[in-house]
Amino acid sequence: MRILNLAGKDLLQIVRDWKSALFLVVMPILFTLFFGFVFAPVQAEDDPRLPVGLVNQDPAGSLAAGLKDVLAASDVVRPVTLDETEKDQIDKQVRRGDLAAVIIVPQDFSRQALAGESPQLTVIADRATTAGQTAHSGIETAASRLMGAVETAHISATERDAREGFSSQIARQAYLEEAVDLAIASWQTPPIRVTAEQATGAATEEEAPSGFAQSSPGMMIQFAIFGLITSAMVLVLERKTGALRRLMTTPTHRATIIGGHVLAMFLVVFFQQALLVAVGQLLFDVDYLQAPLATLAMMVTLSMFAASLGLLIGALATKEEQVITWSLIAMFLFAALGGAWFPLEVAGETFAVIGHVTPTAWAMDGLQNIVVRSQGLGSVLLPAGILLAYAAMFLGIAVWQFRYE
Amino acid sequence: MKALDIAFKDLLRAFKTPFVLIMMFGAPLLITGLLYLAFGSLAGGGDLDLQTVRVQVANLDRPGAQSGGFAAGEMLVEFLQSEDLGDMLEVTLADGEGAARKAVEEQQADVAVIIPHDFTAAALASGREATVVQYEDPTLTIGPGIVEDLVSQFIDGFAGAKIAAGVVTQQLAADETVAQEAALAYAAWLESSGHGHGDETTPSVDSRPPAGVGESASEGTGTIGAIMIAMTIFFAFFMGANSAESIIREDEEGTLERLFTTPTSQAIILGGKFLTVVLTLIVQVVVLLLASGLIFGIKWGQPLTVFLVTLGLIVVAAGFGVLLMSFVKNTRQTGPVMGGVLTLTGMLGGLFTSGVPNIPEAFDTVRLVMPQGWAMYGWELALQGSGVGGVLLPVGVMLGLGALLFAVGVILFRKRFA
Repeated sequence: MRILNLAGKDLLQIVRDWKSALFLVVMPILFTLFFGFVFAPVQAEDDPRLPVGLVNQDPAGSLAAGLKDVLAASDVVRPVTLDETEKDQIDKQVRRGDLAAVIIVPQDFSRQALAGESPQLTVIADRATTAGQTAHSGIETAASRLMGAVETAHISATERDAREGFSSQIARQAYLEEAVDLAIASWQTPPIRVTAEQATGAATEEEAPSGFAQSSPGMMIQFAIFGLITSAMVLVLERKTGALRRLMTTPTHRATIIGGHVLAMFLVVFFQQALLVAVGQLLFDVDYLQAPLATLAMMVTLSMFAASLGLLIGALATKEEQVITWSLIAMFLFAALGGAWFPLEVAGETFAVIGHVTPTAWAMDGLQNIVVRSQGLGSVLLPAGILLAYAAMFLGIAVWQFRYE
Repeated sequence: MKALDIAFKDLLRAFKTPFVLIMMFGAPLLITGLLYLAFGSLAGGGDLDLQTVRVQVANLDRPGAQSGGFAAGEMLVEFLQSEDLGDMLEVTLADGEGAARKAVEEQQADVAVIIPHDFTAAALASGREATVVQYEDPTLTIGPGIVEDLVSQFIDGFAGAKIAAGVVTQQLAADETVAQEAALAYAAWLESSGHGHGDETTPSVDSRPPAGVGESASEGTGTIGAIMIAMTIFFAFFMGANSAESIIREDEEGTLERLFTTPTSQAIILGGKFLTVVLTLIVQVVVLLLASGLIFGIKWGQPLTVFLVTLGLIVVAAGFGVLLMSFVKNTRQTGPVMGGVLTLTGMLGGLFTSGVPNIPEAFDTVRLVMPQGWAMYGWELALQGSGVGGVLLPVGVMLGLGALLFAVGVILFRKRFA
């Protein structure tokens, strides 16, 4: 009962402080919203493929239209026709990411290709970005198919030459163009193809996860740590004002005092997460409730991890400034290394391996197993177990280092 | 002279505080360092440092006796297992489709490639079709994209040969033998032209990065420069406010009141306090620029341009800090006010999205509502190698705005202590 009284006192102190609302609720929601929009995939609402600009400087030729058709059939990119007046803006549009890449069909491209020469398409893409690299690959595939269609036309024309020949150069040209059209039409549905299917349980192969699928769990984890500032501060103030010492003169057991503080921290983080889960579910369409038990398991274990870390910070810090400093350092390290700011997939190999040692990476795994992979309770048992192990370790060190004065 | 003494005393006190040192130098370098480690050469403007993709292959292909020993599925497996792709892919053969799918669901693999039972038959016989299924982890984008690209390139060889055979048949009403010859001719072209699956680049494509990206990287102004300066601006604004907080702290502790009883005028005492803010920022920004230049190899731009944007940043951060603290009543309010206001204005000023592609264009305008946005804009120009003329507008705005905010802040403080 005493443990509840102590926790209740801490909670009251935290709730009465208006700063708590700022750190625990307002800032995580704002950051989730902001980063959700910032990291949203580049795609039109009705077309998830990457936009690729197409500038045709060979209007007299037939191959630019063929290239557009081949691109239109791509699973990766979609063509956006640009006119010559937009040419000056091309580099800026690609640099800014408005277009994933731009293809320029140079003057005389079609004539050269059909004459058996090897003209080149100019592609502008920032291959140091994921979108640029993906679009470039899609364009290379489309260019190979286009040139394959031209080669098909040459093969067919050579066979015709061997059989009956052409009455004129114009007839040969018309034959070649017809063959190219037939080949490109066939490339719209290639006889042998690859289709991508996402391991989500449900067949959602077209829709890429929104930016909120990263930012919502990411910010929930980041601010679970950041929110410790207010609760760890209570502990430091109690020690500073001598309240902890006074408590020791009462018949209250030491374990009860520590337990009361941990319980308060746990409840603060748990209610913060409950609120953020509700906001994610209702406002940002992040489906935590498709596996409510799994979500609950992650919330409980993440809260236990954060509470034990908070107790450790509160046990080690002697001044309010130290609480802020250590909470911020813990937040920066755990959030960045654990993939709360950006998916570890986009980081280098070594960083990803080191990152996966952190509890936050496992927390991200567990939450994304629910909201992105659409998996259930079984999928979060390992991440939740690892969070519990970290919680036990931090709690052990905190109890060992706990000072009452 | 007395104002300088007060400023140096405050400065010395600040530099003895671990919290101040961490917020001045540690945090901006730590965050930038973490991102530098995460993105490696990409952050410096190089190529992507990709992780190895774990691929499970379920080869269900069953070539019939009529295939004459040709096994398209086996060829695809060999291609994915080839030494050339060894750095990129870690390929494991799965015991069937279910096992491959399960490996992806349990995150033992990033991608499963399922080759259908009639793959060879579809590659050889006209009129038959086949689909290779790629089952992928939905949290990943880069790895599955690479695998899909490689598999597509490979099977496009078969598909192209079939299409060539079909077109010749259609145009010339040719028989099966001619169609097969056309398919072989297409395969030979693939092999010789460099459009096949074993080739690193497509000869019909000439690629270049957009203007501005390659050049800035070569000048050492890649993404890491933008991230570092964003962190420098954020923590400079933080330190501007934190230094100005010493006025409130001394007021609470009663030391300011005692100072006011000395023959030193109130203007000199407050002037010394404000000088502390400026000196702190000079030390912080100069140290951060030099340290990050050495650690991350960032070249900040032309010296005179860098001097001007540094001056602008110091003035506007100092002005903002003094004004912000002039509204605060006691030190209990300073933490949340600094945290909340500086985070929000920093966010709107574009400090947390530096180096991120695909930011909506309107954001470039919106961020200029904030002083941090002007600082970021000026520094971006400096990083791009802009001359003095190019940064006059942002520097002018920073100096003007900084002076205005500083003046209002000073007036409010003087009113408080009048």
